[in-house]
Amino acid sequence: MSVVRVFKEFFRLGSSECLGRKPGRTKGGCTVKRLWRVLQACGVVVALAAAASAQADVVAAAKREGRVVVYGSLEADAFDVVRKVYEQRYGVPVEYWRAASTRVLDRALAEHRSGRGLFDVVLTNSGPMKILKAQGVFQRYVAPTYEDFPAATRDRDGVLSPAYRMVVISVLYNTRLVRPEEAPKTYADLLDPKWRGKIVMPDPTLHTTTATWLVNLRRVLGAQWRPFVERLAQQVGLVESFLPVVDKLVAGEYALGVTYVKYVKQFSEAPLDYVRLNPVLADAHLVGLARNAPHPNAGRLLINTLTSRAGLHALAQTGEFVLVPGIYPPIRDADKLRVVMMEDLDEREFQRARDELGPVFRRR
Amino acid sequence: MGVLARSLAWPLRRGAVEASTWVGVGVGLVLAFLTLYPTAMLFYGSLSDAPVGAVGRFTLAHYRQAYTDPATYRLLLNSFAFAAGAAGLSVVLGLTLAWITVRTNAPGRRLFELVALAPNVLPPLLVATSWTLVLSPRIGILNVTLLRWLGLPPLNVYSLGGMVFVEGLVLTPLAFLVVAAALRSMDPSLEEAARMSGSGNLDAARRVTVPLVVPAVLAAATLNFVRAVESFDVPAVVALPAGIEVFSTKIFREALAAFPPNHNLAATYATSQLLIAVGFVVLYRRITGLQERYATITGRGYRPNVVDLGPWRYAASAVALGVLTLLVVVPFLVLVYVSLLPFYEVPSGEVLGRLTTRHYAFLLQSDRVARALRTSLGLALAGATAAMLLSSLVAYFAVRRRSRASAVLETLSFVPWAFPGTALAIGLLWAYVRLPLPIYGTVWILLIAYVTRFLPYGLRPMTATMVQVHRELEESSRVCGAGFVRTFRQVLLPLLRPGFLAGWAILFTIYIREFSTSVFLYTPRAEPVGPLLYHLWQDAQPGRMAALGVVVSAVCVVVVALARRWVGEGAR
Repeated sequence: MSVVRVFKEFFRLGSSECLGRKPGRTKGGCTVKRLWRVLQACGVVVALAAAASAQADVVAAAKREGRVVVYGSLEADAFDVVRKVYEQRYGVPVEYWRAASTRVLDRALAEHRSGRGLFDVVLTNSGPMKILKAQGVFQRYVAPTYEDFPAATRDRDGVLSPAYRMVVISVLYNTRLVRPEEAPKTYADLLDPKWRGKIVMPDPTLHTTTATWLVNLRRVLGAQWRPFVERLAQQVGLVESFLPVVDKLVAGEYALGVTYVKYVKQFSEAPLDYVRLNPVLADAHLVGLARNAPHPNAGRLLINTLTSRAGLHALAQTGEFVLVPGIYPPIRDADKLRVVMMEDLDEREFQRARDELGPVFRRR
Repeated sequence: MGVLARSLAWPLRRGAVEASTWVGVGVGLVLAFLTLYPTAMLFYGSLSDAPVGAVGRFTLAHYRQAYTDPATYRLLLNSFAFAAGAAGLSVVLGLTLAWITVRTNAPGRRLFELVALAPNVLPPLLVATSWTLVLSPRIGILNVTLLRWLGLPPLNVYSLGGMVFVEGLVLTPLAFLVVAAALRSMDPSLEEAARMSGSGNLDAARRVTVPLVVPAVLAAATLNFVRAVESFDVPAVVALPAGIEVFSTKIFREALAAFPPNHNLAATYATSQLLIAVGFVVLYRRITGLQERYATITGRGYRPNVVDLGPWRYAASAVALGVLTLLVVVPFLVLVYVSLLPFYEVPSGEVLGRLTTRHYAFLLQSDRVARALRTSLGLALAGATAAMLLSSLVAYFAVRRRSRASAVLETLSFVPWAFPGTALAIGLLWAYVRLPLPIYGTVWILLIAYVTRFLPYGLRPMTATMVQVHRELEESSRVCGAGFVRTFRQVLLPLLRPGFLAGWAILFTIYIREFSTSVFLYTPRAEPVGPLLYHLWQDAQPGRMAALGVVVSAVCVVVVALARRWVGEGAR
């Protein structure tokens, strides 16, 4: 747990000192960045040494295994860029099953408990990943690329990856219905009576990340939290998860919606922009190798590719916020956002959030 | 040869009886395994304190949790109103359409009949999505055009009425198929007798046709009621945003979508639904107890005659066209429209400039789409054939050998019907995840799930047709020395062909886009079309979803047309 907290501290530090400036303009003025460079240099040395001896064997073994099966909640189109890099590099086909993180958790757990090895790699939000880890779904694997991440973010047990990317939550709006100057600027603006019935968000009793978001807003809003949540509940229509929010926004059924900022890029032709809330909350994403992986070597290579600089760079181009300093998605002001990482909820805290938020949001 | 066969007839008959008994026992065992095993595992799940795949201890906590919640009783009422409304609407529309296309001389009826099958191939998820785009208060096409010009208040699809309307339309093709099959195989001499005794056309219809069609109508209503109770597609699109709770959304919300998901509570709610459905089967069997009364297919010719409507035939065509507009034309046009836009917007002059075929290009380029189409086609062909063969045997034993054992058979085959697709999938998951056969995680579990879950769809038209085939035909075959297998294959199956093909067509079109069971059981390697459509929708890609929906519908229309043509040639 403390690892995560340290990472969060790191990130908050990073956001206030480094992320505020444009990349490239800073000339080593920031401690974290310098630390990062040192780490990177070390990482390259270690990685090269390891790669020389082991890589050839792993690749040959992966080719013999013939394929790799991945369960995850990353959008299929975004994952496709990683798949392409991987398939070009190793010639091993990737089978990707994409579903909401709750489904990924559910399926991986059920298959693990039955003792069947059907998947190699799981990638989703840190909350579900930690539950899977606690249930013994994963085996130890420390990819050479993990060296490139801050030591504080690495899993001490050597099971889960460092947080290699994050999903940033804000309010998106349909630019045909809302002019930028009319759009809300702050969390409190969402409570304006003119937005009543015009905001769409996932049902927090169904959607774990939304529940986590609401709970974490307490830290941002302080004493204003309770009245904010109660009045927000009066303003909104509810759907299942973040992408259906985008669907309703694009179609014009709603003017504003609580969802991921990355969709501004991933639906770049749609009339969408986002509110630069201060701060925005974000959830870390992790990856892990299954204990009963039927294709463990192909799985290891996939994790290497995903968390490599090339893989993360490709992901960033699809709009993902990757956790590599200096690399930002091609979204306006992505580098200026003040990002606060959310605290994970464990199973009991989720239950409590559901019990607390359910009556507020589902009063109808 | 004939003399030889006849001389062998008596000794052979004894063996024939035994063969049929063995076949009966075999069918019973297969059915019991298909239905009771997952049912038992679901009960086990509702009473166990451990999640799927683990061994747990006995507990009643899940039942306490479900039935101390006052909301449970409100949602029961909602579910009943929703299911009764949707089943009622579907039977009214299905019967109207069936009567016009089968029994009247309304122009264009052959085309209507073909078109009436089409909505069966439109996944309910897509139909519901289409209707929300037509009737959504803010962006619904109808609301922002016609009603705004007329100065009328907007219609709201996000309401109980909206749900009944959309689900009723989704269920109509099934009602149509079941009723049309019964109308088609009706003995016209009964109506002629009524007319010769001085009844007019309408009077004959009221006194003879209506009572003869009642079992089929009841069958359709029962099927559709239970199907609406368990359906999740329409509630997912309409009820969730409307904040209306029905059984399937409650199961989804409280048990499956909870974090962590609670399959035990899902199993508990599913058990309650199962009991409701079992209650309906008992009621249904009581109503249609005296089925012998309806034996109307005899050894004589039985082409039903056509009612001459005179000038009214154009009105009949107009009614049929109106129903088909709601069933097919509107949802299909909306789908095509959505599939041609980069992203959805209300129709306008500017939109025309943005039309694109890129979603179709995506279908052509995507390996995932090609693989899903192959998987689903294979499953639909194999599944429909297997399910219909099993249905014919079950229908035979249930109708012909009316005994306690046959009642058990029919009830067994109705069991999977009662499960919500998601909960049956969990029962199957529980059942097969531990079985040491390579079924779970392969395409075979989908085949087993499809055959099990939709057996009632095949069984209803088979029993409805079987009831009308008089015993004497089979008896003459037996007297002539044919054994059970031969009689079944050469005499019964050809006579049952209308029912068999009606069922086969229903099943094919269901299987090719099955969603709520598949989504829990498939592996990424063999992803069927249904889950793929759902994932495209979940990924906010309605354009791609619509394009795939259009293609799948087209494939289905072709396959069904070929199947019908093959029947037509066979009949001649």
